[in-house]
Amino acid sequence: MADRLSETFGALADPTRRAILARLTSGEASVTELASPFAMSMPAISKHLKVLERAGLIARGREAQWRPCRLQAGPLHDVAGWVEHYRRFWEQSFDRLDDYLRELKKKDSKDKEKKHVRKQRKG
Amino acid sequence: MSANNAKVSAAGISNAKQSSEWDLVITRVFDAPRELVFKAWTETKHMAQWWGPKGFTNPVCELDVRAGGAIRIHMRAPNGVVYPMSGVFEEIIEPERLVFVSSALDDKGNSMFDVRSTVIFAEQRGKTALTLQLRVIKATAQAPQYLKGMEAGWTQSLDRLGDLLDVITGRH
Repeated sequence: MADRLSETFGALADPTRRAILARLTSGEASVTELASPFAMSMPAISKHLKVLERAGLIARGREAQWRPCRLQAGPLHDVAGWVEHYRRFWEQSFDRLDDYLRELKKKDSKDKEKKHVRKQRKG
Repeated sequence: MSANNAKVSAAGISNAKQSSEWDLVITRVFDAPRELVFKAWTETKHMAQWWGPKGFTNPVCELDVRAGGAIRIHMRAPNGVVYPMSGVFEEIIEPERLVFVSSALDDKGNSMFDVRSTVIFAEQRGKTALTLQLRVIKATAQAPQYLKGMEAGWTQSLDRLGDLLDVITGRH
């Protein structure tokens, strides 16, 4: 369980799996329904579903024979939280970088001025 | 401890999957020439000045800027908590592209999350458009708490500053 977040990120790293999740946001679907937009074999789709299920991103019903898939949002919340925190870390760093670059530029132009003055004095 | 770190980050790298999609992309335009922005990312004395959230300092900041070269940064929050980080440069194309993998370490030196960062520096009429692409390679359950803790580190100190200002301006 310690690597739950890793597993979620791994599961989300694939465009087919993200498309499957996107489809499930509008409600339950059977494996056949989920497979229909993709030019992919059923075993390939099943493999993707297993990855999503292992990551806790989807659950499969036991009641009906067609075992509908549905979205489970818990792990997505964890990822969203992580991404949000990390983004804030970078936004803050970039604010500082922005300030720092402005300082560097100011220093740079002052140095050039000094050199220019020195040159003029020499000449 | 360092052997442990090496194992962790090596495992992280081998687990990496190439993909055209990224977990997080952040862009920013800086009003400075590209060479200067690139320098700010690759020279220790510059990097230490801006890396990390507001109010943080970097008492340790070591960059071995070559493919395979090590990165070691200890970030210090305003409340005194130190956040160590280690990493490896993977690609350096001056002054346009930087790729590195970084790992945030827990107090035992184990990686809590490994992230591959690709930084693209593009010239834009004297300014620099920077694109940061972040791909999570590995993240443990502690990762969100870690980042939350870091945020608490600076918001608390800002709150304190706010209180102090209130006192000075006689609002209390």
